Amino acid sequence: MHEEFAIRTQGMCKSYGKVRALRGLDLEVRRGEMFGFLGPNGAGKTTAIRCLLDLIRPQGGTARVLGLDPQAEPVAVRARVGYLPGELNFDSNLKVEQALHYLNDLRGNKADWKYVRELVQRLDLDLGMAIKNLSKGNKQKVGVVQALMHKPELLLLDEPTSGLDPLMQHEVYKLLREARQGGATVFFSSHVISEVETLAERVAIIREGVIVEEAEPSHLTQMTMRRVRVRFQRAVDASGLAAVPGVTVVERNDVSAMLQVEGDLDALIKALAALPVRDLETEHTSLEEAFLRYYAGDRKEAR
Amino acid sequence: MFAEFKHTLRRMSGTILAWGIGLVAYVALMSAFYDSLTTMDSAIMELINRYPPELMAFFGDFVMINTPQGYLDTYFFLYMPLIIGIFSVSKGAGLLASDEEKGILDLSLAHPVSRSAMFWGRWLGLAAATAGMLAFTWAAWVGASMRTTMGLTWLQLLRPCVTLWAVLMFFSALGLLFSMLLPAASNASMLAGALLAGNWLLRGLAQVNKNLQPAWKLTPLRYVQGGDAVDGLRWSWLGGMIGATLLLSALAWWLFQRRDIRVGGERSWSLPGILRWGRR
Repeated sequence: MHEEFAIRTQGMCKSYGKVRALRGLDLEVRRGEMFGFLGPNGAGKTTAIRCLLDLIRPQGGTARVLGLDPQAEPVAVRARVGYLPGELNFDSNLKVEQALHYLNDLRGNKADWKYVRELVQRLDLDLGMAIKNLSKGNKQKVGVVQALMHKPELLLLDEPTSGLDPLMQHEVYKLLREARQGGATVFFSSHVISEVETLAERVAIIREGVIVEEAEPSHLTQMTMRRVRVRFQRAVDASGLAAVPGVTVVERNDVSAMLQVEGDLDALIKALAALPVRDLETEHTSLEEAFLRYYAGDRKEAR
Repeated sequence: MFAEFKHTLRRMSGTILAWGIGLVAYVALMSAFYDSLTTMDSAIMELINRYPPELMAFFGDFVMINTPQGYLDTYFFLYMPLIIGIFSVSKGAGLLASDEEKGILDLSLAHPVSRSAMFWGRWLGLAAATAGMLAFTWAAWVGASMRTTMGLTWLQLLRPCVTLWAVLMFFSALGLLFSMLLPAASNASMLAGALLAGNWLLRGLAQVNKNLQPAWKLTPLRYVQGGDAVDGLRWSWLGGMIGATLLLSALAWWLFQRRDIRVGGERSWSLPGILRWGRR
């Protein structure tokens, strides 16, 4: 049976002693989408990903990966998944090629070595280098290669471009888009908002172990604050704008005002109709501002 | 499982070679004295009789030193459980926990390999590595037997090596089990190593103080035949040792099945619940 969701969790909980890393995680990632998982350090991103691979066991809730229960069928799940851990480490005594051969052995030699060489070339990696002599960025490239080399159905990537220079970051973005075009689902965590904005078709924001928002990045930015600058034809008293629902006056003088508007602009436009407006500029906030809003807000909300 | 077995053997190949060469050199040195020692029969016995019994107790069966069995025991098989045991304990304790601490296990286990395959693949790799190291020793003794008047066959020399392998695997399994219970591989290695050293000391002390005999009988080193195995294996001792090793390993496997694979930063290393309980 073809499962609609590549990942589906319901009420997934995980605690480490007194620390509650996941507090009922509900997440749905559709097949074939590029999904960004956004949150600061310690929000539960890595814990969630590691639960999906049965590296750690949740204490409550359910999880399905490609329609399978990762706890009941961990090997079947992992056979169809490519994983890039956030804290990437290899046996330092191996060379890059030996490390990739070992991991390919664990996969029952499923990788096409021609494709591996292509990935290596595109990421400008030297197969003959000893792992212990690699920089963080080069180790990350090895991690990207091993995650992609068997052309998995689902990519679980924890901070995929960590340590990479901008050129390589863009090459990785290209590789991920190609994987997506090839039918793979890409689920990646990040705390780099521009990365999520660039790559993701949908994004979930995780705070203190729960999803606080899940939407398309554009929707997230639209539904949050936007800035509006109004210039008037002459000096007016615009103090009444502060009373418009969803509007905050950031700065104001007799001939202009900078406003912050939450939600749609309808009420503001109706209020401005009574004033001699010369010019109106609106500016959407970035995903970063949307993200910060969730974190700057009342933190008690998620507790 | 085979991929993990192969990988473990490859990782240990340098250690096997280094230990193997060291052991061969030691056997070559010790066997060089065999002929001269056995021809000095009465002088040696006179010297031995002057040794205090406490010292004799720690250095094996000196009375039999002029026989191949006694010679093998005194100069090799008495010490090797302790000396090679250090290798076994540290490799056993680090078999999985060391990679877990380095964050390597996280990536390996994200591949389509079950925890059982990972565990037993590595376990078999360690068993083969230990056997490989002892194969160097065995070959060296076979060579020494051919060069000297020892006159032992390859099969006779294989038997004490088998008993040594069994006790080394026992201490590896002990280290492995502790690594599943204690916060770090180094703790496990230290505890299993201390038990090994304690057991070795008890062997000597029990020869001097008969009150310690009951305790000595409960320890694994009591059931290592050493040089005596040249004349035939005590199958009950060997079987018991292998059985105990498998039991410890199975317990470690059971714990590994149920464990969260940890990575740095996820949580601090702490004593498992069962050990923390007493401290509340």
